[in-house]
Amino acid sequence: MSIAGRNSILLRTLLVDFSNLRLSPATQQIREYYHRPKLRNPYWFVRKTRAANEDNLTAENQDFIKERVHDKFGPPAIIKGVSTYQNAVQSLVKAEEREKVEWSPKLRRTGVLARKIGNYPLWLKNGKKIHTTLLHVVDNHVVRYIPPEEYKPTQKPTVHDVSKYGCLLVGAESTDPSLLTKEYCGLFKDSGVMPKKHLARFLVSPEAALSPGTPLNVTHFRIGDFVDVRGKTIDRGFQGVMKRHGFKGMPASHGVTKTHRRGGNIGAGGEKGRVWPGTKMPGHMGNRYRILKGLRIWRINTKYNVMWVQGNCIAGDTNSMVYIYDTILPLRKPQISPPFPTYFEDESEEALPEEIWYETVHDFKDPSITFAPES
Amino acid sequence: MNISSKVFQSAIINKTNVRRIASTVPRCSAQSERKVPLSSQAQTQSNSPSSSEQRKPVVPSEYRFVYPEFLPDPKLEWRNPIREKLERMDMLNRRKHIDIPEFYVGSIMAVTYSEPYSAGKVSRFVGICIDRDRCGLRARFILRNVIDFQGIEVEYEMYDPAIQKIEVLRLEKRLDDKLYYLRDALPEYSTFDVNMEPELLPEGAPVPVNDIKVKLRPRPWLERWERQNLKGVENIEEHLKEKHILKAKARETPWEKYDLMKQYRKTIPEEEQKEIYAEVYSQLHQLELARKKMKRKRTFIKPTKLA
Repeated sequence: MSIAGRNSILLRTLLVDFSNLRLSPATQQIREYYHRPKLRNPYWFVRKTRAANEDNLTAENQDFIKERVHDKFGPPAIIKGVSTYQNAVQSLVKAEEREKVEWSPKLRRTGVLARKIGNYPLWLKNGKKIHTTLLHVVDNHVVRYIPPEEYKPTQKPTVHDVSKYGCLLVGAESTDPSLLTKEYCGLFKDSGVMPKKHLARFLVSPEAALSPGTPLNVTHFRIGDFVDVRGKTIDRGFQGVMKRHGFKGMPASHGVTKTHRRGGNIGAGGEKGRVWPGTKMPGHMGNRYRILKGLRIWRINTKYNVMWVQGNCIAGDTNSMVYIYDTILPLRKPQISPPFPTYFEDESEEALPEEIWYETVHDFKDPSITFAPES
Repeated sequence: MNISSKVFQSAIINKTNVRRIASTVPRCSAQSERKVPLSSQAQTQSNSPSSSEQRKPVVPSEYRFVYPEFLPDPKLEWRNPIREKLERMDMLNRRKHIDIPEFYVGSIMAVTYSEPYSAGKVSRFVGICIDRDRCGLRARFILRNVIDFQGIEVEYEMYDPAIQKIEVLRLEKRLDDKLYYLRDALPEYSTFDVNMEPELLPEGAPVPVNDIKVKLRPRPWLERWERQNLKGVENIEEHLKEKHILKAKARETPWEKYDLMKQYRKTIPEEEQKEIYAEVYSQLHQLELARKKMKRKRTFIKPTKLA
């Protein structure tokens, strides 16, 4: 018998042995305890940026890629103060195709993505100075709408009765797709929107749904309305109690040794002789999302898509991204209809003025303020 | 251009800045220098219109001292081109309604201001400018005067719409950048007549530097003036003890003037300054011309003395 023939017999016996060894379904172990649902991330949480290497691209290849991008999305252009591409959106819905929906106070509109670009003072007509933060709505477009039946997030948003709301994906700041991964670009494929640097989801009522490609501008909000602004606070790292919680610390002298910036006592003895949960102690500070609520919009610039919002303590550094929502504070919610589902520039009869000021704010184009005596 | 050459360039710019502030003559010479290329450019403009389209407006080099608040905060984390542009637009709009003249720390000014607490009236405060800082719409200055034997300081925001009028009564500079030491000086150094008449400088004259040296009161002081390297104080030595001198010497930082990076971080690069002033030049220049015209009109119409 040849070596090859002997080997084949060996292999056959081995296979038979393995088939005998196979576990029958009856002996399979069944775990009886509760299966925790796997907390899957939303489908748009994919790897965004490519590795930064050049892939040994020649100059001609790079030019070719640039040309392809320009062929598809048009040449680079600055629109409303943001560098984007001329045809960054291809699927604009015409005004006739849109259906009109009546606004009611219980409906939830979409929010927008903006960049915090700094703060400066404005003055009211009564001479009072107010601090304002400038928020630049950067090239926002709707990417996708997921109706309430299909939107089943595993991580529940902190909204009462999520099942009522659909999910609107909004992107901000068009960018060169060659800088992004294939999967990330794929998210934008059906929408006709150019891949965006930033993606966010907003929970909206089905009546406030928008079709992909709809631009969102600063005119989505009205002057004098109140907004909530969500941003990521500045990462300050591991901090002591004086910086993190504003403790007073201890004296610098008078016999104090080695406890100048320490927290002091953290608990009592006896029955409650332990550290109580929630005790303020040193730890990591910042780098978490915080919402500042009920901020009035004092001024709007429609040319640059900028709004001036009350206060200068909006979370995040200058040039960081923030989310702007309609306020949820019950007494500051709008009483009359805001632009619903959003403000369409093509529908309005006359264009809005470039600068819109709230009635009590002093316009810098006006003459100086003088106070007349009350008669 | 690599970073080191940029740094070096900015350092050179800074040095020239400092020299220009300290001396009085170069301003005049800079103007005369400016006039020559302007006229030559005008000639070339008439010859070739195509080249004139590319030509940018020639911004006077002293603009960075006359309008320092148009330069943004050099802190890189706080900068944003669109915010800065909007801020400059607001500043120009405000400047169309109020004449904010050229002034420096050490100039004597009068500010007319209306207050809600004295409605129907305006208050006028005369004093010496002891500090001028901040940028954009936040720009401010502090005036100091002694009124009824009481030192008074008022902080004004330059773009506050309640300000009715800003006059410069005496345009001059002092030896120091900040004059907070007047708080500890004898009161006569910060006493100015409330009814002072404005002193006019001839057209195109350099801004004079007042090299007056003030006398300080004896200790206690508000700040440790001996550590601040002041040029405008006369008698600082006579109030110091041995320990004060030693401590001041220990805290000296004579190497800081050679720290190029420090200077670079504190200033806006010259290329950017030019860009910013080129943007606002035409409007500022028009305002200047209008102001000049107004001034001339006023001198013709208003008689200086009656009877």
